[in-house]
Amino acid sequence: MNQELTYWVALAHTPKIWISKKNEMIVFAFKQGKTIIDLFESDNFLNFDLTQEEILLLNQTKSELINYSFMVEDLLNQGYNIIPVTSEDYSPILKANLKYNTPLILYTKGNKMILKEKSIAIVGSRNANESSLLFTDNVAKKASSEYKVVVSGFAKGVDKQALDSALKYQGQSIIVLPQGISTFNSGMKKYYKQIIDGDVLVLSTFFPKSPWSVELAMARNSIIYGLASEIYVAQSDEKGGTWSGVCDGLKKKREIFVRQPAEKEKCANLLLIDKGAKLVDIKGDVVKVPITNSKSISEIKEEIILLLKQGGSYKMRDIKEKLQLNIPEKELKKILSESSSFLKTKKGSTTLYSIFNPSMLLF
Amino acid sequence: MTNMTRQEAEIKLKSTFGIDHFYDEQWNAIDQILNGNRMLMIQRTGFGKSLCYQFPATQFKGITIVFSPLIALMRDQVKALNNKGISARYINSEQTPEENTQTIQDAISGKIKILYIAPERQENREWIEATRKMNLSMIVVDEAHTISVWGHDFRPAFRRIINLVNLLPKHLPILATTATATKRVQTDIERQIGGSITTIRGDLRRKNFNLYVIKVSSEDEKMIWLAQNLNNIDGTGFIYTGTRVDTEVYAKWLKYVGINAIDYNAGLDADTRKEIENNLMNNKYKCVVSTNALGMGIDKPDVRFIIHTQIPESPIHYYQEIGRAGRDGKPTTIILFYNGSKDKEGIEEDFKLPKSFIEGGRPAIKYYERVIEKLKIEPLGERNLMKACNLKQKQIRVIKADLIEQGIIKEVSYSQSKKYEYQYNAKSLDAKLFEELRIAKLKDLEAMREYVYTEKPRMQFLCDFLDNETSESYNNCDNTNLTPINIFINQQWVDRLKEFRETYFPILDVETKGSKMVNGVAASYYGVSNVGNAIHRSKYDNGGDFPDFLLRLTLKAFRKTFGNQHFDMVVYVPPTHSGELVKNFAVKFASVLKLPISHNLQKTRVTKEQKIYQNSYSKRDNIAGAFDYAKPEEIKDKRIILLDDIFDSGATIKEIGSMLTKYGADVIVPVTIAKTVGGELV
Repeated sequence: MNQELTYWVALAHTPKIWISKKNEMIVFAFKQGKTIIDLFESDNFLNFDLTQEEILLLNQTKSELINYSFMVEDLLNQGYNIIPVTSEDYSPILKANLKYNTPLILYTKGNKMILKEKSIAIVGSRNANESSLLFTDNVAKKASSEYKVVVSGFAKGVDKQALDSALKYQGQSIIVLPQGISTFNSGMKKYYKQIIDGDVLVLSTFFPKSPWSVELAMARNSIIYGLASEIYVAQSDEKGGTWSGVCDGLKKKREIFVRQPAEKEKCANLLLIDKGAKLVDIKGDVVKVPITNSKSISEIKEEIILLLKQGGSYKMRDIKEKLQLNIPEKELKKILSESSSFLKTKKGSTTLYSIFNPSMLLF
Repeated sequence: MTNMTRQEAEIKLKSTFGIDHFYDEQWNAIDQILNGNRMLMIQRTGFGKSLCYQFPATQFKGITIVFSPLIALMRDQVKALNNKGISARYINSEQTPEENTQTIQDAISGKIKILYIAPERQENREWIEATRKMNLSMIVVDEAHTISVWGHDFRPAFRRIINLVNLLPKHLPILATTATATKRVQTDIERQIGGSITTIRGDLRRKNFNLYVIKVSSEDEKMIWLAQNLNNIDGTGFIYTGTRVDTEVYAKWLKYVGINAIDYNAGLDADTRKEIENNLMNNKYKCVVSTNALGMGIDKPDVRFIIHTQIPESPIHYYQEIGRAGRDGKPTTIILFYNGSKDKEGIEEDFKLPKSFIEGGRPAIKYYERVIEKLKIEPLGERNLMKACNLKQKQIRVIKADLIEQGIIKEVSYSQSKKYEYQYNAKSLDAKLFEELRIAKLKDLEAMREYVYTEKPRMQFLCDFLDNETSESYNNCDNTNLTPINIFINQQWVDRLKEFRETYFPILDVETKGSKMVNGVAASYYGVSNVGNAIHRSKYDNGGDFPDFLLRLTLKAFRKTFGNQHFDMVVYVPPTHSGELVKNFAVKFASVLKLPISHNLQKTRVTKEQKIYQNSYSKRDNIAGAFDYAKPEEIKDKRIILLDDIFDSGATIKEIGSMLTKYGADVIVPVTIAKTVGGELV
């Protein structure tokens, strides 16, 4: 029933109360067979475990319900959907991923059934390089052929490529906005055809009139990850939105696939592998013989010994290349210097490593 | 919520409104509203419905918003409330944007108790933004029958009010009021407003009405009867005609015979309308002639008569329209003219116009499809949609309202404008619904016809139609205790009417700021006399030059309007295709007036015929910059007559007017043979 939407929107935009707390209130009310309307229309907010301040805030919201009615009417009139967390239309993937931190409402425009499909997210830098864009295109192509929805954040670079590729391959896509849904006219106009054909869903979780901001862009990342069953990283720096998003995802034990970078490519993709992400090739396929992950330090050490035993001395970079070691140089240096098996000699400014042969000491 | 006993409330009523007591039915409603409930009140005009929200509004902390479609009524109510010291204001298209903004600011800062707004305002960004910041206590939906498609007067803008009402929080009091609702409409309103709504339905009889039907056999008989008898009816009142042209014709005719009448229509600007309303309030006219569709919602308690020259579309329309009279409870004369003479096909003359309104109420389905196709490609605003589809503004508005109603398109705010967007997964157009509505409307029209011929007491007929329940008897009509009115026509009046018709010429309304062009004159309306046929024959059926009687008539129109003025030259509008009709006409016209004729007004590029464009935007684009004058020095400081055959939207005439103004013309007077009825952008 539409009347509930007013209450949902009001609760969602009540400031200074954690989303998890709001979700707990909802769950609590529903367990008692109550609706969100009952929650507001009862006197003490169902005696829920709330602080004095929170009750004050909620009472303030209650007095503003009528104002929210006007806003909701305006949004519905313009064809936006408002999907509360309890709605059948709400994304089950998002709910499963974010649990009590899932947004109370989703504002959408377009084919909301897309929310029920299998989905992947492709994330990466705004200043993505050629291989990242190619990777994105490949992954989007594959996803589209498997009828998976591509989720992206409508930023430049990888995000934009993900959207355009998904559409190029007749796939479907969710645009997760870093802003309120009613401030996206230019994009709505640009993707009008795809939106009305049901291939694109525009989604925002923020106050509808909010303009773009860094904070919202960051907050939006967790929604992108949350909406996807699989996450593909095209390119990450050692800081910034993608980096913190992926780190956060890994912490939450999400399965994240990272593109294997080319030699000497400047990016932090491999660091993410160390943190537990999975390596995939340019086509998005999992690299069959994983190098770093399954190799322990001792295994690496043994490989180096085998190499050096064949004679000669190597620069650290040469060792890494010859053995195709996908570990940071810092770590390799540590292995080389901490083990007594290796001999370090200086030739000018370069350091060379060879096998330490104790018999040499005899001389 | 505000708890108070009736006694406590009546003390406050006395001090604020100067009224001692509520009627029981009023108090029932007020009690419910004070307790935060939803109410529907169906009560006759003059019952005192407004007090049922005005009183609670004064008791609530925040603002009460009253959605009302009647602008004039708003103005009167606000004035009356302010006189009682209650801060009331309104927001509508009659105020300047600055005034509306100020009102909104006052509402936000809590300076207003009752705010009247037109439902269309719900589409205004500034208003919607402002609603976020107001402290609101109650919502009132006035004239609530307009929210039902089964009501006689459905307004699409009210759809949004209903959507809003459905979203309002449970504890907010809502009052919907109407004086005209059948059971079907009542149920529809109850369902739409939803929640636990209580309905109070009162007795709808208007006992002070004296109802007559005058059966005539021609339009002339109506005009002559009015000329003979209007001054014998007490007080002031309204004449409602079926078309806008008729408001002009009737008002001019009545003035011609010395009756103080004025025409009032949607084509007038706000200031003129206000002036007429003020004069009416001060009884400065005998009668105001208006189209019945206009619904002048003026709060004048002593409107003594309402006369319809055409039957309305249904008995509810009729009840509503006559309902504006006699609010003071004093005897009031209500007359309906009906020309029941049959044409070759056996259709009664006065049945035709309202029937054509119903039949032509919706554009053809193919136009709906055209709009849908265009909107599947890109979002478009109203103007671009009109151009893209080559449809009239009126057609586009009907189509878009229907498409929005069916959820096929939506109106979306883009930064500075609104555009229409096709919706994903939209259903296909349901034309069956239109057909159902059409059939229902024809049935209602048939019932209106029955009103003419009924032998029942007339008020009973109307009240039965409204499902009114009362055990009391009805009288006061020409079917009961009043003497029926018959028509007597003598030759003298027939001659006077003929004389009037030959000296009555339509005005060409073209004056705009910055142009030296003044309002001109046409010899006749196209299509209401033999003038149209004559033009058509010459233009399209190779009938040769325009016949001389057109020249005589045009000269007469010109002389009557501008005869005492001096002119320097005659120019004429060059044709779209080859053809010298207008040129030859202009040459003759100029020679009779002994003025020089100029052939120097020329086309600078090929244009298409204006008539293929259905709306004024496209017409304007078609001829923009299309004219020039070969010897501009001829124009300077000259007083010029500009001739053309037919005046439609006026776009061509205005375009030429501004070009000639640029070259320094002193005055430009447009003169045409005919003026079409109902050009675009009325």
